Parts: sequence; structure tokens; C-alpha cells
Amino acid sequence: MADEPMSSQTDTICLETRDLWFAYGDNPPALRGISLTIRAGDFVGLVGQNGSGKTTLAKHFNGLLRPTQGQVLLYGQDIRDRPVGELARTVGYVFQNPDHQIFSATTREEIAFGPRNLGLEEAEVQRRTEQAMEHFDLTEYADHQPAVLGFGLRRKVSIAAVYSMRPQILILDEPTAGLDWHCTHDLMERLTALHRQGHTIILITHDMRLIAQYTPRCMVLREGKLLLYDDTRKVFEHCDLLRETHIELPQVCELARELAPIGVRRDALTVPELCDSYADLIARREVTNAGGH
Amino acid sequence: MQVGIDLFVLRKSWLHEIDPRVKLFFVAVSIIILLVFKNIFFMLTALVLLHLLHWSAKIPRDRILFVWKTLMPVAILICVLWVVFYPAGDPLIQIWMVKITLVSLAQGAVLGLRIMTMAFVVFAWLYSTDQPSIVRSLVKLKMPFEWGLILALALRYIPTFQGMYAVISEAQQARALNISEGKGFGRVRTLMPIFVAMVISALRASDQLARALEARAFGAHGVERTYLRDISFRPLDWVFTFAIFATALLLLYLNFRYGFGRQPISLF
Amino acid sequence: MSKIIVVEELSYAYPPAIPGHDPVWVLRGVDLEVEEGEFVSIMGPTGVGKTTLCLALNGIVPQSTGGLIKGRVLVDGLDTKREPVPQLAQRVGVVFQDPETQLFNMSVEAEIAFGLECLGVPRDEIKERVSWALAVVGMTGFEDRPPFQLSGGQKQRVAIASILAMMPKILVLDEPTANLDPLGKAEVFSVVRELRHKRGMTIIMVEHESEHIAEFSDRVIVLNEGRVEMADTPDKVFSQVDRMREIGLAVPQVSELADCLNHRFNSQLNFTQFDEALRTLKGQLDGR
Repeated sequence: MADEPMSSQTDTICLETRDLWFAYGDNPPALRGISLTIRAGDFVGLVGQNGSGKTTLAKHFNGLLRPTQGQVLLYGQDIRDRPVGELARTVGYVFQNPDHQIFSATTREEIAFGPRNLGLEEAEVQRRTEQAMEHFDLTEYADHQPAVLGFGLRRKVSIAAVYSMRPQILILDEPTAGLDWHCTHDLMERLTALHRQGHTIILITHDMRLIAQYTPRCMVLREGKLLLYDDTRKVFEHCDLLRETHIELPQVCELARELAPIGVRRDALTVPELCDSYADLIARREVTNAGGH
Repeated sequence: MQVGIDLFVLRKSWLHEIDPRVKLFFVAVSIIILLVFKNIFFMLTALVLLHLLHWSAKIPRDRILFVWKTLMPVAILICVLWVVFYPAGDPLIQIWMVKITLVSLAQGAVLGLRIMTMAFVVFAWLYSTDQPSIVRSLVKLKMPFEWGLILALALRYIPTFQGMYAVISEAQQARALNISEGKGFGRVRTLMPIFVAMVISALRASDQLARALEARAFGAHGVERTYLRDISFRPLDWVFTFAIFATALLLLYLNFRYGFGRQPISLF
Repeated sequence: MSKIIVVEELSYAYPPAIPGHDPVWVLRGVDLEVEEGEFVSIMGPTGVGKTTLCLALNGIVPQSTGGLIKGRVLVDGLDTKREPVPQLAQRVGVVFQDPETQLFNMSVEAEIAFGLECLGVPRDEIKERVSWALAVVGMTGFEDRPPFQLSGGQKQRVAIASILAMMPKILVLDEPTANLDPLGKAEVFSVVRELRHKRGMTIIMVEHESEHIAEFSDRVIVLNEGRVEMADTPDKVFSQVDRMREIGLAVPQVSELADCLNHRFNSQLNFTQFDEALRTLKGQLDGR
């Protein structure tokens, strides 16, 4: 398929959890025995209701949380003894609210903060900062105060500020929340570009339209357990299970299912796919009708 | 257990039923008495009575333990410092330069116990009074409503800001900020990215809060504010007020006239 | 029907964030009229001034924010530049995006009573209105719960109830679901649906969720570059897929599909809602 999201995944496993359990203090466990592997170069959507454990799981990937039981492996090595600051070289984590990290007087300084913490040489810090600003189209705001920029720009600054550390793996927690259509797709395109360059991207979101359109892989959590983890198209086949989890399928997917009995492809994920399939169907009918007469 | 915000323990007890103003009066009077009396047996008795008070108000054991856990380190520290630095009378034992005397031991214990007893007095009030009632009682005692609201908001947003601090701290650590780096001023510099982001977020939040207050008609002119939950003095509250007043007067009279409870060890 | 909201040539600039800088005009000549009982949705790119327009309806802009203002806003006949905000609050209730900062009391009951207490409503009536408002949003039984322990959807429902209790003629919802998960969104939208169908209030809703806008709205207002760019029925607005894309806004997926098919077949399909799309697409095939 021409419009299949391109995947640059390799066979190297970059992240792995083995029977991961986690509980906040004395509370009931938030994660209940999660075992999974993520290949280097994957683009994975991570979905589930609030409280299903998405953020809790993701925070284990960069060591912000440590398993109560089980293991997290980064490129095959247990990260137990590695501090967050060191893991940040490999795993970047962008928090949900950009205002929870922005503090600098200029956008440039904000983006240089991470690389500087990594102890890089000043020339390298500058190089990475400029490149990150370029990738996220922030160069014209380099000398602005990031805290007073608009929400869409603050969001991009917060992502660029993590990307500038050049982590192989980039985790984003609901990066499109509160953004309009244009900003959302602009951001998704930029993430897709990073994915094409070989970065592993883990996207936490509630928006199944984005998953359908952009992420080739999808992971669904429910009550601290891994409910589904597969190629996105296969995950979407379990629509009853998804609905049970209160995950709203895109209108196109629902429509494809309703129209399947009359011959439309059931697994259409995006508008062009459904449009093509419906058009094909009509064309075929016309041929049959013409032949019949 | 999450303490800090909902100190209030929802129970049905006589202490919960009393008008908060009576409890406030009790707190004020008790603090005066506890500052005036300097006798170890008096303090011990007070401590036992206060535990009985908490118990009769159905305050759970872990809440009582919380007071101990939180304040005992301070109490012990004060006690030890006193014993070490203010020896009085004949030493019981002497370790190198440090003389330990019976009198200073008792004085130190009184200081430590004073912290604990005062804490239990204040916590009896906080555990048995919900925040709207606390604010309401202060307003009835002629504090302006705006002050009461500010107090209530401060209490309400403690956990929000705690949560905010935790998230911001994590977000900056994820950008390779080593938060355990540096000492003294250096450490303050290390934590700057957290503090600044915190201040910006707090300003944003307070701006939104101000708008939300206005949208709820806060500050309406020419309107006398009404209250859904009001507090009122019942006959029993007068009885308690009088009993507290009489007991305090008696104790203070005994203290000033006969020196009751002025010495660290002997009662008179 | 009468016009309950009239916005004429409204321009507004916030005071500059950095002193000494030039003010930036957020709104640049907004004209808008809303009929009593109408359900109007407002869409617009991030940062276009949707919140500012909402705040201008209840007087917070410019009375509390300062800045520069031109033109005027009349709500229920009152000029929002002059009428004190607390007085306007009885006519225009605003529910904000962030649940955390608009719920500032220690119990759900106190939260809903707060506005009424400020207005000096007698105690018995407060009691009645609190239980009425809770019933409307389906939160009866939550009176003693602290708001901050509720789920996102529940918090937003309490926020709506706290405004409804003041019985405003106009309800303004400023991105009420932006911070919620799908379950929370569904909860809030079901309350909105209930208000829409049963109560005949005038409702202004700022949203990005085009599928829900299509379901609820009598009219969709599209703000772009500080002005009203479109003001029409959802059908008319969402059929202009290319224009909406240029502005940077979403249309319902079924409208995208209609547009895609129209390009293919040179047809005139136009649907904005799921059931409509399903019926039409099935019918097209059966008809052949």
C-alpha cells in the first residue's frame, strides 16, 4: 500500500519490560505484570483511559519511576542502577504540559538547557540547539521569552528542548492536547520525519485518528495490563474490545465496519483509504451493471 | 496516608459538634496555660488528658501517631539541646564537657513536652473541624471574608502545588538536571529551573483562579453574603466556654498565688 | 426571537506581557449576533482569541484584564464594558478549560453554593438550587466529596453545575473537554446534550471536536486572524473542507470523506454526522 505509514524499524530491541509491576506507595498496583518489547525505529501509539497506566509505564522507560517488581531493559541492559540524568541521553521524555518545564529567558537557552546538562562542549550544544530550533521551526523565536509565547509554540519549544539532547528514543505524553488541527498535524509530520531518520517514538494519546494515520504500531493499556499490542491495523480489528475500554474509534473506522457487508474494506483506517475502497466498489458495480445489460 | 490537606477527620463526636469558636477559644487558652506552666508532671498530665480528648473525639490512631511522628524529632532535639547547653544544679553524670543535671533534664523534658501538648491542642481543633467551618468561625469573629477565603484557598491549593512541584521536578530531571547536585547556594542554583517553572505555572494558575472567582460573582457590590452552612452557638457551647474559662482561671490563680506548676520537678 | 448577544466591531489588545512593547491586537473587529436559545459553537486556530471573546462576554475582558478595547459587547441589553462582572455573572455563566483552577472549594456542595452565597441568595433557596444543579449534571450524591478527588469528567460537570446554579441565561463553555480523556469528554458532552435539548438556554461552546460541534450546533462561528471568517450552519461550514484546512481547523471525518468522494465523482455529497453519512453511502450503492 502506498499510503501505509512508513516504518523504519529494525530488529534491534531498544526497550523491553519483563513482568513489570508498579504501585504508588501503598495503593493498589498501577501496573500489573507488563512484558513487552519495542524495536529500535518503531513509532508506537500508547493508548488507554486515564488511570490505565500509560504515563506510569512510560515513566519507567527513562527511570523516573522504578519497578516495584520486574525489570526494564534498555538495549538489553537493566536500567536499575542508571540515574535519570544519564538515561536522558538515550530516552527523551516530553511532559504533557509545556508550562511544567519552561523556565528560561529565551527560547534558545531553554533548548540548550538539556544538552548543557549532558556536559557537551559549547560548540556541540549550540549546534544541537540551532538544529532543534530549525526542525521545529522555532528559529524566529530564538530570542523570545518562551513563557509568553502562544500555547502551540510553547508546546513545540518543550519538544525541541528534549529533542536537542538527541535521544534515540523519544516519548511524548499527549503532545497534541489543546492544539488545533493545523498545529496537530504539523507536529505529527515533524515527529514522522524524526521517525524516518531512525528515532524510536512513543506517542501517548487519546486521539485514535492520529494513531490510525501516523503510528504503525499501537499499544492499548487497561487497568495496568497490556490489553493489545500489535500493528495498528490489527489492533483496530478489536473494535469491540476497544469500545469496552472507552476508546473512541475514528468515524472512518466505524463507517468502514458498517459498510463492510456491502463490500467496502473493513479495515480502512483513514479517509483516503475508505474513499478509495468505496470508489472501487462503485466502479466495479458499474462494470457489472454495464456487463449485465 | 495523605496528610497536609484534609486534616479534617469526618466523624460523629461531641468534639466535632461543638461550635468551632469554642474550639478556637480552647486552643488560645490552652496555649497560654502551656506557656505559663513549667512543671513536668503538669505537662505529662496534660499530654494524657489530650490523648483522652482525641480518643473521645474518635480520632483514628494513625492520625495521633502522625502528630508524634511529625513533631517528636523537634521535641527531642529541643530537649537535648537544653540539657546540653543549660545545666543547672548538681550533675547526675558528666560526659567529657557535658554535665547532665536532674533539673536541666526536667526543664528539657518540659520544653519538649510543651511542643507535643501544644501540637495535640491544635490538632484536636484541626482534626475535628472542617475547613469551611474554620473559615466561617474566623469570619464570625470579625475577620474579613476575603481573608478567610484566602486562607481557605491556600489550604485548598497545597496539594495542587505539591503535585505541580513533583511534576516539574520530574520534567527537569528528564532533561538531565541532576537535582542532588551542589550544596548551599550551589544547590539553590541547581533547583532554579524547577523554582522558576513553578512560579510561572503558579502565576498562570492564580490568573485562572481569579477569573473563575469572578465568574462566580465573587465581589458582588451591595449584596450581603449568605452562607449555606452556618454555625451557631448552642447552650452546650456556652457550657463548654464557661468550663474552659473557669478551669483556666483556676489554674492561673493557683500558679500566680501559690506557684503551682512553676518549678520543673516539685508541683509547688 | 431576540438577539441576546450583540458584538459590534470588537477589537481588543491585552496589555503587553513585556512592559514597553506594543500591544498586540487579539481581536480585530469581531461582529457577532446570537439569538436567544441558540446553540453556537466557536472554532478557531490556537491563539486566535476564542478565550478572549468568551471573557469579553462576561466583562472580565476588559474590566479585569485591562488592555485596549474598541467596539462594544451587549449581553441581554447590558454593556459588558461597564456592568460590573459579578452582576454580569448572573446573566452569562462561563465554564473554563482547566478544572483544577475553577474548583476552589473543599466540597462539591460548597463549590456549587459559592456563587449563590456571593449573590446573597437565601439559604433555603441555595439548598434547592444546589440539588437541582447536581441533578442536571448527574452528580447527585457527591455533595460531601472534595472536588479535587473527582475524575476529570466529574470535575467539569461540577464546574458546569456551579455555573448553572446561578441560573444564567447564557452558558459559555470555553473548551470544556480539552483537558479530559475520552470518557470524561463523553460525560461532559452528554451534559451539554441534555442542556441543549431540554432547557432552551443560549449556549456558546468553544471546541476543537468537530464531530461534536456538528452534532450540537445551530451555527458554527469560525474565528480567524481576529475576525469572524464564517458564521453558518455546520453543513455549510464543514463542507468547505479546503478553506477549513487553510485556516488550520478540523472538520468531521465524514465531511472529509464527502469531500474526497466529491472530488472523485464530481458529486455534491454533504454530510456532517455519522448516521447521515452511513445512510447516504448505503443509499448510493443500493440506488444503483
